[in-house]
This record gives sequence, structure tokens and C-alpha cells, in this order.
Amino acid sequence: MSLLRVDDVSKSFGGLRAVDHVSLELVEREILGMIGPNGAGKTTLFSVIAGSIPASSGSVFLRERRISGLPANRVVAAGVVRTHQIVRPFTNLTVLENVMVGAMFGSPESRGNPRRRAHEELSFVGLADRAEHPPLGLTLVARKRLELARALATGPRVLLLDEVMAGVNPAEGIEMTKLIRIIRDQRGISIIMIEHILAAVMSVSDRVVVLDYGKKIAQGKPAEVVRDPKVISAYLGEQSAAAKSPQRARREEEAP
Amino acid sequence: MARGLELLLSAILLAGLYATMAYGLGLIFGVLRIVNLNHGGTIMAGAYLGWWFHEHAKIDPYLSLPMVAAFSFGVGVIIYRGLVRHLPRGAAGGAQSLLLLFGVWLVLRNAAYFWFTGNEQVIRTEYSTTAVVILGSALSVNRLIVFAIAALLLVGLHLLLTRTYFGKAVRAVAQNADSCTLAGVHVEGIYTLTFGIGSALAGIAGLLLGTLFTFNPSFGGAELLKSFVIVVLGGLGSVPGTAIAALILAMVEVFAILVLPAYLTGAVGFVLLVLVLIFRPGGLFGHRVLG
Amino acid sequence: MSALRRLRPDWLSPSAAAAFLVTIGLLHALPHVFQLSPYDHNQITLAFIFLAAALAWNWIGGFAGQVSFGHAAMFGVGGFVAARIAQAQLVPFWLTWLVGGVAAGAYGLAWGHPTLRLRGPYFSIATIGVGEATRLVATYWQGFTGGASGLALPIDAGLKHALYWYALYFLALVAIGSYAIRNSRVGLGLMSIKSDVEAAADVGVPVVFSQDLVLFLSSAVVGVAGGIYASYFSFIEPTDMFGFDRSISFVLMAVIGGVGTVFGPALGAVVFVLLRLYLIATYPHLYLGLYGALLVLVVLFEPLGISGLIFRVARRLRAQRSAT
Repeated sequence: MSLLRVDDVSKSFGGLRAVDHVSLELVEREILGMIGPNGAGKTTLFSVIAGSIPASSGSVFLRERRISGLPANRVVAAGVVRTHQIVRPFTNLTVLENVMVGAMFGSPESRGNPRRRAHEELSFVGLADRAEHPPLGLTLVARKRLELARALATGPRVLLLDEVMAGVNPAEGIEMTKLIRIIRDQRGISIIMIEHILAAVMSVSDRVVVLDYGKKIAQGKPAEVVRDPKVISAYLGEQSAAAKSPQRARREEEAP
Repeated sequence: MARGLELLLSAILLAGLYATMAYGLGLIFGVLRIVNLNHGGTIMAGAYLGWWFHEHAKIDPYLSLPMVAAFSFGVGVIIYRGLVRHLPRGAAGGAQSLLLLFGVWLVLRNAAYFWFTGNEQVIRTEYSTTAVVILGSALSVNRLIVFAIAALLLVGLHLLLTRTYFGKAVRAVAQNADSCTLAGVHVEGIYTLTFGIGSALAGIAGLLLGTLFTFNPSFGGAELLKSFVIVVLGGLGSVPGTAIAALILAMVEVFAILVLPAYLTGAVGFVLLVLVLIFRPGGLFGHRVLG
Repeated sequence: MSALRRLRPDWLSPSAAAAFLVTIGLLHALPHVFQLSPYDHNQITLAFIFLAAALAWNWIGGFAGQVSFGHAAMFGVGGFVAARIAQAQLVPFWLTWLVGGVAAGAYGLAWGHPTLRLRGPYFSIATIGVGEATRLVATYWQGFTGGASGLALPIDAGLKHALYWYALYFLALVAIGSYAIRNSRVGLGLMSIKSDVEAAADVGVPVVFSQDLVLFLSSAVVGVAGGIYASYFSFIEPTDMFGFDRSISFVLMAVIGGVGTVFGPALGAVVFVLLRLYLIATYPHLYLGLYGALLVLVVLFEPLGISGLIFRVARRLRAQRSAT
């Protein structure tokens, strides 16, 4: 049985179709990589799954229970949480309090003794010594870890990671990959990760799905997907062209 | 029928004034992303200044317009350079700028009480009561002059914003201030001038309002709210949009007299404001109204 | 002892509780010990009412970050509902306050639920609209508010003196409420909403419910304050109860004292009341401008007002102590 099922979801902003009839499945203890050129609709799809924005059509199911249409906080209570591409810590709270928010308001099972849970998550991501600091003083990678800890504190079954490696150096990237594997292996959380750093995605994902222009163009094992001609042309088309096609540029601009 | 026409003309004349008044608020909000809670204060100051010129220097209010405009512009520049400039930009500064400008409004109110007492005033000239008959309706000369001035100002504004380099710079800053800095546009200067122009428009609107209605130091609150309704309804920066929204508000006000008891017509503007904010979806120049 | 430990929520510090009880005890005994003149006694009673209202305003204005310029609407609703019921002379006066509070809370929720979706300045401007529209309707709704001439309540000879203690314990409850909200789960949720409402929802904070709840509580408390105020003067009228100046006073008290802090608004209320007493005597025409100037100064130099100054001094003292 699938854990998370995205069923023919589309999302349009005015005339722009950001997500175009995408279906995918996530099973237990799986890491699903999501790749695709900029403006392909990946973050928009995350927003739809997480309930931040409503789908224009289609549904999302968690263990065959419909979660599309629920407001974002209820989706979190059900067990699906997302991180943001550009990190969004609560700047008026300490690092520990940030994670406590996740612990206090996440899925019901997570709510006992939030302070202790928050300390545990901070230790897990390696930020235990920064607990009483405000987020502003942290480096980018530390803030990404904070965002991860806060999401984990909600006690999810599905974790949506949005470019969690962007802007971190290779050594930090390897640490992050280790953490992600542990999350799947030891905590049984399934993960969908949007990533541009192909090496990272390929090494850690069980399966990969590829989006382009809002459509799913390929899915399968990492090794297969990487050789798929459609995928190659979607990426090479971006790399070799000196100027982006106007369509793609517009998508990047308009889809949040 | 004749009554209907009279009301319609009345609304149109009023709309010109409302559009000018609202544009001052909208300009500042569109460019600086700041709600000028002192908008009512500047309007009130403009009214009192025009009254003072008329009472003591015997200058016709419409002729004192350039001076009132210059003075209001100056006040706006001082408020920006002296106070507003120091606030953090963006969401963090939002509540702070509200409170800051509100504080300025309180100070201006008090100054007005101090100098002019709390009595109702109005700028009354010899021709205030004269009326001209147009299309079978008797329209007061004042209202016609006010409309003419407002229309000229709005056309001028539209041209300024669309045909001049300055206008382009203002619109660019409104869209993306950081890119403008990179492109060499003096953003702080644009902010200062915009705040000044927005205040000047408010002062002028106050002067014009003062020739039509009575006012006292507490004047300006209702005008602030009406301006806000028009700005939200009509879209930021667009003179035609502001004009249409002003017309809608003016018509609602004027025709509400037909259906509502007298004391409730004052509340119409406020109710319209709350309804507009609730039902008008977010997204004015990409700025989110809703959370 | 361990049973008591289990009852105490983990955010309640024993020293804070002790300090609080001592303060309330002192205030309770004050009139007996110091032989206050009736004027001073009454001024302190009024101060208690305003302190409570300012603290409650701060729940929505400071904790949640949604600045309301229209809270007088609830103050008025609470006051007039309480007064009307008092006129009927069917129930004890404290029940009139309770009913007034509930009515005010419901009113706040009614206009608040749709408008709380709005962020920042949009919400604040909407509250100006709500406040003024309420005032206009109330002023002319003769049947309910007695129109511009207001309502008189049945005068209870001993009540005004006793109001001191009723107001004190009302304030105590509100202060406890302030502390509880701020340090509890609800308070943390509000702070996260204040910082980034979307990110808050994305980690499970129930944004709509939290804001509605706190606006209801804030409105209800301000409504009860209105009811006690009505009992105090035995006469109320719409311009005073619903006026923009009334709404402004709550904002001023909270901001000058320290918006968003737990007890800052109470400090601000004390300053506000003292200033007003002083200014009425010497410069009656200047108090509005003075508050405006204070507001400007607070925003520019010390966003947390008096509380901010106290924190700075405390930090400096602590730094000095650790340096030696």
C-alpha cells in the first residue's frame, strides 16, 4: 500500500499551469528524489501536497486518507511536513523554541514533553549547543539543519525536503545525506527530496521522479532515469542554451 | 430622475477629490510599502493652512494651493528624512511604521487644537454659495472648481508617472528597490520625493475638502479610511484605477443617502472598507494582503 | 509535594508566583494601611481597570502582532450590555460584567474571524473601520445606548469603594492570564504566527484557531473592563466608551509600556494614568501630543518601551556583575 499518493494533481496560476496532471506514489521507508530544471513545478507540487495552496484539480492521499483540501496545519497533524527552499526560521524565538513549535503543534504522538523532544531533535542535527541562540546568528547550513529539526519535531511519516543541500559545501552535503539516510532507516520516515545536486540525489534516492514544465517526464531507479533521453534533453537543453526559452523563464518567475 | 442625475453629478465631482486624496496614500504605499497613518493628519494640516491663508492673508483658497502643496511636500520630506527613514524595511517595519506615523498624527492633531481650538472651521469665500446650473442640476461653484483642480492634478500625475524619467524610476522602485540600487537609481531620493509628493497630494486634498466641508482637528480619520478603500479597490499606482474606485465609493456614499437613515451614511465608508478588505483577493503588485 | 509538582505547569516559575502573590497582597492591603483619600482610592481603581484592558489588548496586539486600533468597540459593547442588564436590576453587578464580557468577546470574534486573515497594516486599518462604524451605530442606536445622552446605572452607594478590590482581583486574573498565554503552547504558537504566518502553519500551528481564540479572550476581557468602568461611573455614553481616543489609549499604554512583553502594558498603563492626572492639572491641551511624541520616541529608539529600558539596565547590571 502506498504511504503517500498524489493522484493526477494540477495547479494553475491564472494562465500558467505550474503542475500538470502529476501522479506519483511514495511507499514506506522510501526516499524519492524529485529533480527537474528550474521552474518545473517541484516546489509548487510540494506546496500542494503540504496544503499551503489548494490544487486546481486532483487529490492527495496519505494511507488512502484524503489530505488534499486540508489546511496546512492539519496536513502536518496527519503526518506530512515540508521544509522550505529558502529557510524560514522564526526570528523572534530561540533555536530551541523554534523546534519546540514543531514539537508542540505536530502530529498528536509528538506532543508529549515538547522541550525534551526539541532537545533530542537538536542533538540529532548537531545543533544542541546553539539551543538558546537566536536563529539570525547561524550559518546557512545551521539554519537548514534547524529547519530540518523543526520539521522532524512534528513527528511526521512523510518529510518533504526542498533543496536542503542548496548552498552547502560538499562536506556538509555528505553530513546531510547521512542524516537523511538515518531518518529513513532508523525512524521509518519516507522522504521526497527536491534537489539540484544530482550526485546527492542519485546516491541517496531509492527512486527518482523527474518533472519538466509541470509534467512528470520520467520515473524509476536513479541509474535508469539518468540515462533516459527525455531527461537528458530537458537538462541539456537548459545547460547548452545561452538564453533560456521565454516559457521557462516565465515559469521560474511566476510559480512560487 | 432629476434627483438621480443630480446625485450622479454630485458623485462625479466628489470622486475627483477622493481620487486625488487617495492617490497620495496609494503612492506612498505602492513605492515604500508603508501605510501613511498620518495621511489624515496631513489632510487636516492642509485644510487648516488654507484656512489660515484665507483668514489672515485674505488669499483665495484655490490660489493658495501651490503654497499649501509646497508646505505639505516639505512636511512629508521632513517626516520621511527625520523619522520614517530609520525604520527597518519589510514586514518587520510594518507595525512600527504604523505606530510611528500614528504618533505623528497625534502630535499634529494636538498642534491644531493648540493653535486653532477645537471649533469647526470651514473656508468660506464670497462665491461659496453660488451655484451653476448644468444639465438641469444646480451645482455649487466650489465643487466644480475642486473637480477641475483634481482632474488636472490626476492627469498631471498620470503623465508624470508614465512619461517622465522620474516616473519610470518611481515605478521601478515600487517593483524592485534592490535592483534599482544596482542599476544606479538613487532609491532613498525616490523614497523621499515620493513621500513628499504623497503628502503634498494629501495637503491639497485637505485644502480642497476644507472649501467644501467643515473640519476640526480630528478631521482626517474618515478620509484616511476612504483613501484606503479606494487604494485597495483601485489598485496601486494606477491613476485610472484610482479614479474608477473613487467614483464607486463616491456613488455608494451619495446614493446611500437614499436608502439609509442619515446617521448610518457615515458608517457606509467604514463598512465598505471592511468588506473590501475581506472579499478583495490579495495581490496588488504582488504584495500580499492576506496571510 | 509531588502531587503539587504535577499540578504546576512546567512554565510556571515559583519565584514569579511568589512575587505576584506578594504584590497582590500589598495592593489589597494598601487602602487599609494608608488611609487613602477617596480621590486617590478611586484613581487607583480606575488604574486597575485600565491596566487589565491594556494587558488584554496586548494579547492580540503584542503576542499575535495584530495591532488593533478599534478595541474601544469591545470596551463599549461590554460596558453598555452590562449597564443595560444592571438597569433591569435582576442580577448581581458582577454578573452584568460577565455577560458584558461574553457579549464583547462574541462581537470581537464576529468581526475578527474574517479580518484576522489580513496581515499587518491591512488588519489595523480594518480595525479603525470597525471601531468607528461601531461608534457611529452605537451613538445613534438610541434604544440600546441611549444615544448621545448615554445611560445611567442604578447607583449603589457602597459599590464604588468596593470596586477597588473587584478591579484588583480582575487585574490579578488578567495578569495571570497574560503570563499563562505567553508562556504556554498558545503563546508560542502566536509568536510563530507573528514571525512568519505561513511557516507557522507549515509546522502545524492552527493559525485561524489561535488568532480567533486570542481575539475572543482579549475582547472579552476588555468588555469586562468596560462593565466595571460603567459600574464605577454609574453613567456611560457612546463617545467616551466607543471613541477613537479610547482605542488609542489601549495602544498607547501597551506600546509605551512594552508591546509584546508580558507585563509591559501594565507599566505603560501606570505611566499613562499618572501622566494624564498630571497633565489634566497643568497642561490639559497637550496630552494627546505628548503621547504621540512618546509613541514616536518608543518606535524609533526603544521598541519595547519602558520594558525595553528596564531590560537594558538589567543586562548592563548583569554584565557588570559578571565582569567583576
